[in-house]
Amino acid sequence: MTIRADHVAGAAFIAFGLAIFALSGELPMGGLSMPGSGFMPKLVAGLLVLFGILLAARAGESQPLTAIDWSDATHAALVVVIAALAIIAYTRLGFILTMALMMFAFLVVIERRNLVRAAIYSVAITLIAYVVFDKALKAPLPQGPFGF
Amino acid sequence: MESTLASLLHGFAVALQPDNVWYAFLGCLVGTLVGVLPGIGPLSGISILLPVTFGLNATQAVIMLAGIYYGSQYGGSTTSILMRIPGEASSVMTCIDGHAMARNGRAGAALCIAAVGSWIAGTFGIIVLTVVAPPLANIALKFGPPEYTALLVLGLIFLAYMSSTSLVRTLVMACTGLMLGMIGIDNMTGHFRYSFDLPELGDGIGIVPVAVGLFGLGEILATPSTRVTGEVIAPKLRELLPNRREWRESAMPIARGSVLGFIIGIIPGSAHIISSFLSYALERRVSRHPEQFGHGAVAGVAGPESANNAASTGAFVPMLALGLPTGPITAVLIGALMIHGVAAGPQLVNEHPDVFWGFVASMYVGNLMLLALNLPLVGLFVSVLRIPYAYLYPLIIMFCIIGVYEVSHSIVDVWIMLIMGVLGYALRKFGFDPAPLVLGLVIAPVFEQSLRQSLIMSNGNYLIFFQRGIALSLLVASLALLLLSAASFMLRRKDWREKLKEAEAGEGG
Repeated sequence: MTIRADHVAGAAFIAFGLAIFALSGELPMGGLSMPGSGFMPKLVAGLLVLFGILLAARAGESQPLTAIDWSDATHAALVVVIAALAIIAYTRLGFILTMALMMFAFLVVIERRNLVRAAIYSVAITLIAYVVFDKALKAPLPQGPFGF
Repeated sequence: MESTLASLLHGFAVALQPDNVWYAFLGCLVGTLVGVLPGIGPLSGISILLPVTFGLNATQAVIMLAGIYYGSQYGGSTTSILMRIPGEASSVMTCIDGHAMARNGRAGAALCIAAVGSWIAGTFGIIVLTVVAPPLANIALKFGPPEYTALLVLGLIFLAYMSSTSLVRTLVMACTGLMLGMIGIDNMTGHFRYSFDLPELGDGIGIVPVAVGLFGLGEILATPSTRVTGEVIAPKLRELLPNRREWRESAMPIARGSVLGFIIGIIPGSAHIISSFLSYALERRVSRHPEQFGHGAVAGVAGPESANNAASTGAFVPMLALGLPTGPITAVLIGALMIHGVAAGPQLVNEHPDVFWGFVASMYVGNLMLLALNLPLVGLFVSVLRIPYAYLYPLIIMFCIIGVYEVSHSIVDVWIMLIMGVLGYALRKFGFDPAPLVLGLVIAPVFEQSLRQSLIMSNGNYLIFFQRGIALSLLVASLALLLLSAASFMLRRKDWREKLKEAEAGEGG
């Protein structure tokens, strides 16, 4: 049997629905006439399982899983990793240092741009953004250990 | 009618204050840039700039954010025509004939027709909005929890019927959004739901991190810079005016696109996207020369561009009059108003006339500004389009992080954005439209609360929904629509999506 995109998507939504049921154990269900805080989530989880089954059942209409173009996956993974590192550093190193390093990493690691140009662009853009948001628009940005 | 005119004049007095004119201009300019740049849509633009509005009053904030929305509809056409890349999802159809016109040396004319069509449709939409929204809001004042529950049910079913993907795909996305919307403290009982001991999740998941992640970051993850070509056809300024034949050929498509777009805009779903597809299909069907479509037909630019602008204005009717978001963008705008302590909905007209009428009047001004901005500044937009995408997307990611963090200074929100970005990427790969998810997220707390309040009102008797005229009519309409959708699904009959797809395929051939 060919595994199709909607087999996987359907299975994912069924798993999501079941996970909600598993996590909803302690929430009071209430009754049909007086729903408790667990009523609606369980109802929606049930619908998720139902629609997941329907999706998987009609998967024949979707493309085979192998036909999905994943050629951009490396780009996506690198962007996610660099962005995740930036989020970890954001409140620790502050806006200027974190964002300049993040932009530099995008340009050098992913885009293979010239080191000097990448450095100038990253620092300049970060400083402009800092002035615009923090100073002009008075939207305070995280400060690092060096006071910026 | 006289009171509407008097209120509108009051609105102009508000909208024409120098500060408000400045914010409308800023919104229109940023919106045009957001529309011009591929990889960043109006939703990301509005979400990213939401924190910037915190220092403004509610009127200025909504004037600026709405300017970004309708401005992006204008800007999207520039990229479509000059690069054959939709700067914004609703400009996909403009790529076909707009770029063909550009290749035939009529880039300026295509841009001018798109701008004039957008202006006429936008202004038409605002006139109808001015007339329709206040009486609709007066009717909505009679709504209690049962009516709101029924209205939200109808909204969700309309969304399923009108969304650009299949019924099951839309419903599964809406359910995922509803589920995410239930995270946090249950307002009725005080129970914490799925907050995993994170105090930041007590207030629930915000719309901004979800919207920016799904639409902004998700788009960037799926777009490596190697796929974005930088070839731009630059029009000459003296070639901007269409000739007499082109004006004649664009007149009726603009009129049809305006009416069609506005009607579709009122209905929940990805209205501004769907409206341009339907307008293109309609224009090809009524044309005496359907063979010209795909090769530079003026109607193929005028119709869809007018329709998407009228739809973006139409979407403000349920938002302002009922407090009902018809799409993720209006959902974010409702959120923006709430941040400023103003609830969108029927009370808005009476309790905050400055906000309501100032906003409506600012749209007349904003549309005029956009017409004035788009054509003379086309050279600037061409220069922006020449910035390599490799340098652009790191900047967009930085804005995404700033925008999400600044809403509540929560790093958890930024993590949610990243997770949603990965989810948005995966959803694109598997052919899901994330828009219903965002709508589900916004609707969930209101829906749950109004349902439970209704049951408290009736001592747990569900007949309350059938004993009140408005609620009953809304539920009957929901049932009819659900049966219509289910019939297509069960009988595997072609619904409007397949028919449209076939029409487009025929066009391509």
